[in-house]
Amino acid sequence: MQPFILATIALGICLAGTLWRIGRWFWSDIGPESLSLPTKRRMRAARQTLWRVFSGRRLFKVVGAFQWEVLLLGHLLRRHPLRWAAHMLIGYGLLTLILFHALDDWITPLVFSDYEPTLNPFRWLRNLLGALVLMGVLATVVRHFRQAGEAFRTPGDRLLLVLIVVVVLSGVLLESARILSPAVFDAMVEDYMGDDDPEAVAALQAYWAAEFGAWRARSGTGFSGEQIKTGASIHETFCAACHDRPQSAFLSYPLSRLMKPLMAVAGDHRLNQWLWNVHFWATCLALACLPFSKLFHFIATPISIMVRAAGPAAAHPALQPVRRALALDACTHCGMCSQHCSVAPIYKVLGNPNILPAEKLKGIKRFQTHRKQSLPKATLVEGSFICTLCGRCTQWCPSGIDLQDLWQASRKDMIQSGAAPLRRRSAPPLQTALVPPAPASLGLSDRPETFWACVQCTTCTSVCPVVAVSEDPQRDLGLTPQQIMNLMRLQLKEQAMDSRMLWDCVTCYKCQEHCPQDVKVADVLYELRNEAWHRGARSDQRAANQPPHGSSF
Amino acid sequence: MTAVGSDIHCDLLVIGTGMAGMAAALFAAQRGIDTVQVGMTGEINFASGLLDLLGVHPVGSSRTWPNPWDGIARLIRAHPRHPYALIGAESIRASMDIFVAFLNEAGMPYIRHPEKNVQVITPLGTVKTTYALPETMAAGAPALKVGTPCLLADFPGLKGFSARQIKNTLQERWPAMQTVRLPFPGLRGELQTERMARRLETPQAREQLGKSIRQNLGGARVVGLPAVLGVSRTREVWTDMCETVGVPIFEIPTMLPGITGVRLRECFERNLPRLGIRARYQQKILPAPRLSGGAFIAPVGGETVEAQIRAQAVILASGRFFGQGLHADRHAIRETIFNLPVYQPAARVNWHRKTLFNDRGHPIHRAGLAVDSRMRPCDEQGRYIYPNLFAAGSILAHQDWIRQKCGSGLAIASAYAAVRAACRSVQSQTPSTQEA
Repeated sequence: MQPFILATIALGICLAGTLWRIGRWFWSDIGPESLSLPTKRRMRAARQTLWRVFSGRRLFKVVGAFQWEVLLLGHLLRRHPLRWAAHMLIGYGLLTLILFHALDDWITPLVFSDYEPTLNPFRWLRNLLGALVLMGVLATVVRHFRQAGEAFRTPGDRLLLVLIVVVVLSGVLLESARILSPAVFDAMVEDYMGDDDPEAVAALQAYWAAEFGAWRARSGTGFSGEQIKTGASIHETFCAACHDRPQSAFLSYPLSRLMKPLMAVAGDHRLNQWLWNVHFWATCLALACLPFSKLFHFIATPISIMVRAAGPAAAHPALQPVRRALALDACTHCGMCSQHCSVAPIYKVLGNPNILPAEKLKGIKRFQTHRKQSLPKATLVEGSFICTLCGRCTQWCPSGIDLQDLWQASRKDMIQSGAAPLRRRSAPPLQTALVPPAPASLGLSDRPETFWACVQCTTCTSVCPVVAVSEDPQRDLGLTPQQIMNLMRLQLKEQAMDSRMLWDCVTCYKCQEHCPQDVKVADVLYELRNEAWHRGARSDQRAANQPPHGSSF
Repeated sequence: MTAVGSDIHCDLLVIGTGMAGMAAALFAAQRGIDTVQVGMTGEINFASGLLDLLGVHPVGSSRTWPNPWDGIARLIRAHPRHPYALIGAESIRASMDIFVAFLNEAGMPYIRHPEKNVQVITPLGTVKTTYALPETMAAGAPALKVGTPCLLADFPGLKGFSARQIKNTLQERWPAMQTVRLPFPGLRGELQTERMARRLETPQAREQLGKSIRQNLGGARVVGLPAVLGVSRTREVWTDMCETVGVPIFEIPTMLPGITGVRLRECFERNLPRLGIRARYQQKILPAPRLSGGAFIAPVGGETVEAQIRAQAVILASGRFFGQGLHADRHAIRETIFNLPVYQPAARVNWHRKTLFNDRGHPIHRAGLAVDSRMRPCDEQGRYIYPNLFAAGSILAHQDWIRQKCGSGLAIASAYAAVRAACRSVQSQTPSTQEA
């Protein structure tokens, strides 16, 4: 098949796929209210919102977010320098290569009027960009190994990384092969010199072998200085306009030195063709995959970030389902939400990964795709309803997703789909008495000054929604928030930790916000819950080592 | 881009959401000043609901005043540095009138006789002199005065409110009093007033409670209850309960924080934004405000800076130690936001007298910000620190509102005077800033 047709098909798949995925935002029904919002109304809302953003002062915010968070990935820079570096290297490396190398027939001459792929600095730049992308991939791999245990990557992500490496490496090697290849040399001579004087060709070949590292495959003898001199003048006439010395390709040139035996075995022409095929097919494959793989976040996440920056201007009710569908695509499964989830300790106890926001989002994506055929998984329903809607995930999401809204909407969908409402789960009994004290943590709860200001005014208990729904807080919760603060300021942590309040706290932060003395009530409860879990886990372990006593959970 | 949100411009920044901060925001809104109000949950949550004007003068004598204005006149003569003396009786009167009228319109009617103080009972059974009463407490004053046969109810689990203790303490003054302890409908264990109040906002709960009170009524012609009759629908709860029981009910303030303060807070939080106040409740002023071109630039937010407020004038109503407007360490008392000079005893040993329960109070209680006649904090020589910074409420020096029983009056009247002065300052500044 003609390469051009193949590339066009790949590009067509890429564009159609992108359009289809963007279109899906407008017809996916997430949240019960979306059923009464036809695609047309959502499109109209999107148009109105765009108009409102572009005509109002919010535009500055959106442009600011585009520059800082999309172009410079500023939000990653501070928190995750390694991740930032990986994104910048891969993103900008690939983008530049696509624009100025893959599309060099169309775009590059517009910017550089004297562009030739075999001139410098383009030779050098191509290698440099390839090297940057490879460094980015390396950074990603390093990061993944460092994060071992918190496996947020999927097989698809890994395949994608491999594909990128294949594209770049095959490109570098293809260039090596072409530097070396006698066949390429012959073809060029035929096309540009038009001279079949074997003397002249031999002279040029001598010069190229000496200066350009071309492989003198056909001539067994060495070249004389005279020949090289003649070759140099022929080179000046026919070649120099388009060819600089290839040594500037700092990856491809050294590799070409190593490639000679391979070329001898595989055959000049075949190796060239084979590398070209790999490079071209892998590129087309990556292009066609873009809308259907994680690479799509390259499009969806910037949109999500800018929608967040638009703030109230984008808060059109008819746009809500669109934003949720966009959210499902904008999620990169980076796992930052799961790291900060306030019910993550419950995941550690129950082992249901759908409690963690990043996994839950994937589950919701599956549920929304197969909604008409099947009910949501029981684990997904459980995870969704264990969530306390505390909003930490939304706060941390680097992709600008309103996760809280997504959880609320999908919960409603699950109820409507007939998935049975959950039974209240009772808190696991804690065997604190059996456990030696934890090594002193540097957290809030071990610092007496955390509780110095507490005057036991009961405001935290009065505003607590968990206390409010209980007829008898002492029976249901053991201790109320203010009683826990009282025990903590008396340094009676063991007693405080025995309370079910810790496990029923929904981390809504009302207590902390209303505290007239700035005591970090909710943070303390959260910390105690984590510590209680760790103790439980240790006592579990011990119980496992001593079989007759059984397990505490 | 930094984490700082957008700049907010306003004429007046009110710092504080206690009684003084709320009053200042109200007066500013009524004068049509473009105002931003910032503050964490204020001491207003700890308000008893009673509006005191002046109950006792001089401190230590326990002399109570049937007519607060007589007391104020005497106080002004005796203590020219007391904030009341700087404000003047006429302004105090005007401020109280506006404030009470606002509460009446906002659906929290207060009962008062403009020229008279009243006496009410406290949760300990003692008697306190005050000025204006919420309607739900009003029936208690005449009943105490004439000793109307009364049933006093309390609830197991509600700490700090014992009907029997009140009866014992009051038995000579109010002999016709019986007590009863009733289970609280739908709640068990330790009770908090806010939970009780919200529970009584359901008709079933108050029906149940009303019936059990009626069964124990005996010959009582008035019923006293701890203040738990609803939060945002108090009027409905109270009238309903009165009907069910068949005699007037009066609430008695509870130990703090009680529901009475929450009612006031919710009333202001609901109504001030409607009057045009740009409220940022649950946010505070973060370090450090600065002056720029005559205006204050104050960073505000929770943990991190969420906005920069640019204000032509500031009213500081940040309260005393509990409200965190003042901070006392091992050496001195300082003002926490602008580091203003604080009038205080020369050394820490002079903060307190030798006996803790000394009738005359302690010198530290009169520490605070000394202000000029336009409510601007001053240094020792009486020179103001900033021309456009004003102070109001309990942070002011030369007063002992707890012993003088003048907390609300001080907050309201000083807020009124501060807003008036700030208004002038803003008006005089506006043309020049426009030119610039």
